[in-house]
Amino acid sequence: MFNQFGSTSETLSKASAVVLRIGTDAHLYDDPEDVNIAPLLDSKFESEKCEALKRLLALIAQGFDVSNFFPQVVKNVASQSSEVKKLVYLYLLQYAEKRPNEALLSINYFQKDLGDPNPLVRAWALRTMAGIRLHVIAPLALAAVSKCARDPAVYVRKCAANALPKLHDLRLEEHAPAIEEIVGILLNDHSPGVVGAAAAAFTSICPNNFELIRKNYKKLCQILPDVEEWGQILLIGTLLRYVVARHGLVRESLMLSLHGMDSNGFCEKDALVRDLTLDKEDGGKSDSFDVNLVNVVSKCYIEGPDEYLSRSSCLDPVTSAFDSKETTSVAHNEDVKILLQCTSPLLWSNNSAVVLAAAGVQWIMAPLEDVKKIVKPLLFLLRSSSASKYVVLCNILVFAKAAPSLFAPHFENFFICSSDAYQVKAHKLEMLSLVATTSSISSILREFEDYIKDPDRRFAADTIAAIGLCARRLPTIPTTCLDGLLALVRQESFAGDPESVDGEEGVLVQAVMSIQTIIERDPDSHDKVIIQLFRSLDSIKVAAARATIIWMVGVYCSLGPIIPRMLTTLTKYLAWSFKSEASETKLQILNTTAKVLISAKVDDFQMLKRIMVYMLELGECDLSYDIRDRTRFLKKLLPCKLASHEATEDSVASQENIAVHVVEHVFGSKLKPFLPLGLNDRFYLPGSLSQIVLHAAPGYEPLPKPCSFVFEEHDQLSDSDRQRDAGAVLDRSQESSETGDEDGSSDYDSESSVGSEFSSDDNERKVSNDASDPAAPLIQISDTSVSADQEELRSRRALDLWLDDQPSTSNQTPSAVNSNQSSYAKISIGDIGSRVKPKCYSLLDPGNGSGLKVDYAFLSEVSIVSPLHVCVEVLFENSSGEPILDVNLEDEESMKCILQQCANTNST
Amino acid sequence: MLQCIYLLSDSGEVMLEKQLTGHRVDRSICAWFWDQSLSQGDSFKSLPVIASPTHYLFQIVRDGITFLACSQVEMPPLMAIEFLCRVADVLSDYLGGVNEDLIKDNFIIVYELLDEMIDNGFPLTTEPSILREMIAPPNLVSKMLSVVTGNASNVSDTLPSGAGSCVPWRPTDPKYSSNEVYVDLVEEMDAIVNRDGELVKCEIYGEVQMNSQLTGFPDLTLSFANPSILEDMRFHPCVRFRPWESHQVLSFVPPDGEFKLMSYRVRKLKNTPMYVKPQITSDSGTCRISVLVGIRSDPGKAIESITLSFQLPHSVSSADLSSNHGTVTILSNKTCTWTIGRIPKDKTPCLSGTLALETGLERLHVFPTFKLGFKIMGIALSGLRIEKLDLQTVPPRLYKGFRAQTRAGEFDVRL
Repeated sequence: MFNQFGSTSETLSKASAVVLRIGTDAHLYDDPEDVNIAPLLDSKFESEKCEALKRLLALIAQGFDVSNFFPQVVKNVASQSSEVKKLVYLYLLQYAEKRPNEALLSINYFQKDLGDPNPLVRAWALRTMAGIRLHVIAPLALAAVSKCARDPAVYVRKCAANALPKLHDLRLEEHAPAIEEIVGILLNDHSPGVVGAAAAAFTSICPNNFELIRKNYKKLCQILPDVEEWGQILLIGTLLRYVVARHGLVRESLMLSLHGMDSNGFCEKDALVRDLTLDKEDGGKSDSFDVNLVNVVSKCYIEGPDEYLSRSSCLDPVTSAFDSKETTSVAHNEDVKILLQCTSPLLWSNNSAVVLAAAGVQWIMAPLEDVKKIVKPLLFLLRSSSASKYVVLCNILVFAKAAPSLFAPHFENFFICSSDAYQVKAHKLEMLSLVATTSSISSILREFEDYIKDPDRRFAADTIAAIGLCARRLPTIPTTCLDGLLALVRQESFAGDPESVDGEEGVLVQAVMSIQTIIERDPDSHDKVIIQLFRSLDSIKVAAARATIIWMVGVYCSLGPIIPRMLTTLTKYLAWSFKSEASETKLQILNTTAKVLISAKVDDFQMLKRIMVYMLELGECDLSYDIRDRTRFLKKLLPCKLASHEATEDSVASQENIAVHVVEHVFGSKLKPFLPLGLNDRFYLPGSLSQIVLHAAPGYEPLPKPCSFVFEEHDQLSDSDRQRDAGAVLDRSQESSETGDEDGSSDYDSESSVGSEFSSDDNERKVSNDASDPAAPLIQISDTSVSADQEELRSRRALDLWLDDQPSTSNQTPSAVNSNQSSYAKISIGDIGSRVKPKCYSLLDPGNGSGLKVDYAFLSEVSIVSPLHVCVEVLFENSSGEPILDVNLEDEESMKCILQQCANTNST
Repeated sequence: MLQCIYLLSDSGEVMLEKQLTGHRVDRSICAWFWDQSLSQGDSFKSLPVIASPTHYLFQIVRDGITFLACSQVEMPPLMAIEFLCRVADVLSDYLGGVNEDLIKDNFIIVYELLDEMIDNGFPLTTEPSILREMIAPPNLVSKMLSVVTGNASNVSDTLPSGAGSCVPWRPTDPKYSSNEVYVDLVEEMDAIVNRDGELVKCEIYGEVQMNSQLTGFPDLTLSFANPSILEDMRFHPCVRFRPWESHQVLSFVPPDGEFKLMSYRVRKLKNTPMYVKPQITSDSGTCRISVLVGIRSDPGKAIESITLSFQLPHSVSSADLSSNHGTVTILSNKTCTWTIGRIPKDKTPCLSGTLALETGLERLHVFPTFKLGFKIMGIALSGLRIEKLDLQTVPPRLYKGFRAQTRAGEFDVRL
């Protein structure tokens, strides 16, 4: 009886807990395995099957492996209930790859569903079937996709477009042409929803197959505003890449406008450009655009920063200006005009990714005077979610670095509100210091004053650094800044123990450093400030700040009338405090005393000399290695000065004279103010992931080389635009295809008459132009398949890059390539080792290695082990007379002997 | 493209994982992520794009729930972030908010939604009104039904008709007995008042929100009396660009139900409806603080739910605050909130009290920022006025409603 009662109360309490979450799947998530799942799956009731599947999903959600239920689940794929079907599909996609054999059982049902009159059922079946990553069913899936690509329902066609990357991902080379063909069909679809998905498929499958875009270019542009937002993002990028590949950059755009100034060669041809540059020169061009930076940015967009920066060290940026033939102009080019027209209303899109993508197009392609229309939409994005705010700011920063004048009138947008995240605040500060002008600086500085009192001290320190930057950019403001900063230094140093408050140290250090940056520009007029800093030295406790001030003592020791008179007292003070200093300060004290000693006048000299000797004695027995080393160094250098003063002046012992010179050079030379060049910044395409993480993410591609996609229309003369362009475009396209073609244009012209069938091959022609010997071409283009490891996407791309780098020229190999196979042509390299000697680096020279000479070189081959590995060839050479035994080559990192070799070769 | 989406609770537990492509992402990435966010603190949590050793991670945080997406290849980061935001919006629309319990209780719906919203890492159907037709939101009726019958599918058998049409945001033929359309102007005022009491920045961020319940295929035009004051705008995909470009008229076929038609910004406003006057004096280890709040320029409607919140600096060890109107609460993380409600007729609300500083500190040298909150019903402070809303074909029994409200957005008053 009691027992019974007890059990009811238990169930009651359980029930009451359930009431709140009634009708939800809560109990399934909390306790998915409280019943036996297997029998439920075999149940004849849909509801029980459904519950079992939900339990399995709950287990998946919690990270358990439930693939052992696979056979039972697969059976249920035949269910008529849409919910069971959906759940089965969710399960199948999770585990199909693990259980290929059982997954095959489901194929028949998919085939059946694909013929279902309900488009939703067809779409689900297609999605799942393509999602099962099995090579065996790939042909079936491909057939299904190509059928669905012609389906009457838009939703099904959209799913077909989404299924293409799944099939492409299996890397079945024999299907590649068929997949690209379907991409082409879907890009040509009349429904915007399908085109968006097709654009996504295009980007991930064949981003460089511009022939597909060319066919539909005008239509794609017109349909762009109606495409779904996600498709728009990728379609915008695709269209931009196509236009650059086809027509090159725009002459009037920001990217190229500055080349007009550098090389007047083609500037004069175009009156419009000349007018623009003249206008700008009147209005103080240097202020509105950072010429060098714009140059770097545009080169980075085209070449990728890694490649560009590695090259730029040896090349003058001006000489690497774009070839004028690789450019086009908005006024004359219809394609560019349409692109700009159809992307500009997208700046009003609700989706910030679309706005940024559209802004990127305008930034790169729009004429200089139109670029400013991207500013307001971009700034409006800053009012969206905090996550997108950060990404947008990162991109705006690049724009503002290259063209500060664009954002200068809108500085108020970068004022900081208290709810901003720290990274956002830091970026906004950088923006403010970039766009500050003489008219806006006063309000910006007033804002900065407020920020300094912010409770977040790291942010306050950043603000002070930003003040320093502003003061350096705008020479008119330093005095006001300096007063404020000095007051801050005083306040901070008297604020009690700075270590008690987090980050307070940073503020003080930053303040001293900002003062130093400002003084650096014009030390002569700021000697009072320097004196004040020296005076406050005693109250400043933070080592880094002290070190900076002491360094300034050394640098400015002969400045003005007052400072030299303070030096004796100062050095005495430094000597007195030396023992209690941190080691970085000690180093600075030693340096500074040496500098002071060298520039000292006769009357102070004896005193300073004694101080120096005292300090060197202290330094010699310091705990820190660095300080002992520095002391020893100074001791060896300075005896000429430490010896009697007159002696150095009178006697002309040659050795001492050299020492004096050395000392004067090391310590006595004047400091030149330097401006760090932002040239080491890396720039990636606006809106890309790489721009945020600041390295090239896998799959990142810079813009295609301008005019690398050459299409010769069958009847060129009928194209009225071309005619109007006075043959400029025509010349360009021909000449660029002739570059490096030693045989001249006749060969090419005869082929171009073949017409469109041939032209689609031009993508590869560019590559093929690089071979060197007509008899035995180094690089062979063929449509045969290549070895398995080269099929890896990455390695193939690496190969392409490498090929582009080869400076050698020659004529192309006209291999029989027909139009729809052309893009899969393989590139194989002949016996390259015999022709191109890889550069050798010496590892060990015979002098050091007792006769053994070791060289190494990076091979251009792709490693058989993995495309990520690099092949290195190591050459051992015995240049001594005797045989060398037991040569070991060890990999230091893993300490694993990768190669052991007994070399007994005699000198060769 | 995205490879995987994880939903993490506020304690770092992985509540849900959805693999999107064949390239599976191991759960250990979440452990890495959570370790990092514990060791690096807030600055990591507010970083939306993270390069982990193996993947690129995108994160957004909504009501304590972290939405984490992984990718290994280049893709537009804003696309990932916008998509995650969309997922969060849809989920909170379906479940009536997002928190740990709601997501766990409705995990099947979350799975079904995710499966519909993204396919192979690329967004598929994100339009809320279409999703609602494909997967029924949980409601009381369906819950009771599932208890009674033990079976109630929330997955629709048929494809929503809008999913494929040229207006993908609208179901083809909704039918209503009474046709209603409501337009709300919802504005937020962003302002910065600096330490000198000067108004540094004052602007309005506004949204035109609509609720349309119209039969058939209505074509609407909405025009403003003074569109020239709008500085920036962004539109719902349904808005046609041409008419706006030529004569600043919104012409569109609306989605069914509630949606945001456009958002806009009006900048450089000269006045705020309220003032906040904080004062602080510090002397020998204690500070006296007093804050006055009042109406500067009467907007003509009642100002409601006024609140003032601020963060006490770290160096304050204890605070004793009181007010002559409303209530003051101080949380353990030193956040003070003063709930005022409405301004009384007879007196000016005043918060006063003393702050004790930590030992060794004489004066306060960092100062808090006050965040003001308020709400005014019935008025759009930007001055934007709707002129008229026209339907191309007027259905029978049409009711049109217009409302406006303004609330404080980022209203910072610095001390």
